[in-house]
Amino acid sequence: MPLMARSRVKWVLLAYRLPREPSTPRSALWRKLRRLGAAQVLDGLAALPLDARNREQLEWIADEVVEAGGEATIWVGELASARQERELAARMAEAVAEEYSAVIADAAAARADAPGQRRRTLGRLRRELRRIRARDFFLPPERERARQAVEELAMLVEEPVA
Amino acid sequence: MRWATRRHCHVDRAACAWLIRRFLDSEAEFVFVDDPDELPTDATAFDMRGVELSHHGGECSFETFLRRYELVDPVLWEIAKVVHEADLADERYDAPEAPGLDVFLRGLSMVRDDEQLLALSGPLFDGLYEYRKRALLLGREPA
Repeated sequence: MPLMARSRVKWVLLAYRLPREPSTPRSALWRKLRRLGAAQVLDGLAALPLDARNREQLEWIADEVVEAGGEATIWVGELASARQERELAARMAEAVAEEYSAVIADAAAARADAPGQRRRTLGRLRRELRRIRARDFFLPPERERARQAVEELAMLVEEPVA
Repeated sequence: MRWATRRHCHVDRAACAWLIRRFLDSEAEFVFVDDPDELPTDATAFDMRGVELSHHGGECSFETFLRRYELVDPVLWEIAKVVHEADLADERYDAPEAPGLDVFLRGLSMVRDDEQLLALSGPLFDGLYEYRKRALLLGREPA
């Protein structure tokens, strides 16, 4: 975690309570938090490193929780314990690292594919990589490895891919 | 008329401001605030928590404007898809322009203040509107 070793991380947190039923808003909320890469600190407490985009995205989610009949508040803060902060950051890095690893494995497997299939896989993996990078805040080593794996696959594909 | 929104505009607010000036209020004057508590009483607020002209039901503020003002122009709804994906990236729509628009406006917001950002992004949305309109009339991407 090169960025985080020196200075402490500021976080934006969403504290929320949603009715158990209906379950649609609950699963929509879960999907959105996952897409943003938020860490579930506790049931009803999700955290992201503080920046303008993360804060705004959590605020919109908070409004949706309220619209769905729940309660939600947005907090800005930092962990009192540096060790717990490292653990939380490591947990978040590990989650995206797993996603990168899946991309690396798919890129390796695609080398054996027929050219057409390989090209389609390249397009899919590039999009997937973009999604993962958008929720990667702590830059695990798999980030660079995944980028390389996809670039290497691209070199086997002659035609440019949209 | 006076309109108010949060400081440090990004794609959704820039698109809403363009929509307001071009389709709703050509004399629009914009006020930027840090907190909803600072809203002037004579201004219509948009893209802020807890106001009517904001995100609703998973839609961005630009989409809310189109619904509230019953703007049925299909070109505007094409732009709405791009703004939605640039703002929320939830893949509700297929809008390949969105990541580019997001980066251009985010970068612009780093080197210009809100007034200038709206002044510069206005023609960009004019162009997007014209492009989408021609695409719709032609039935294919215009060149």
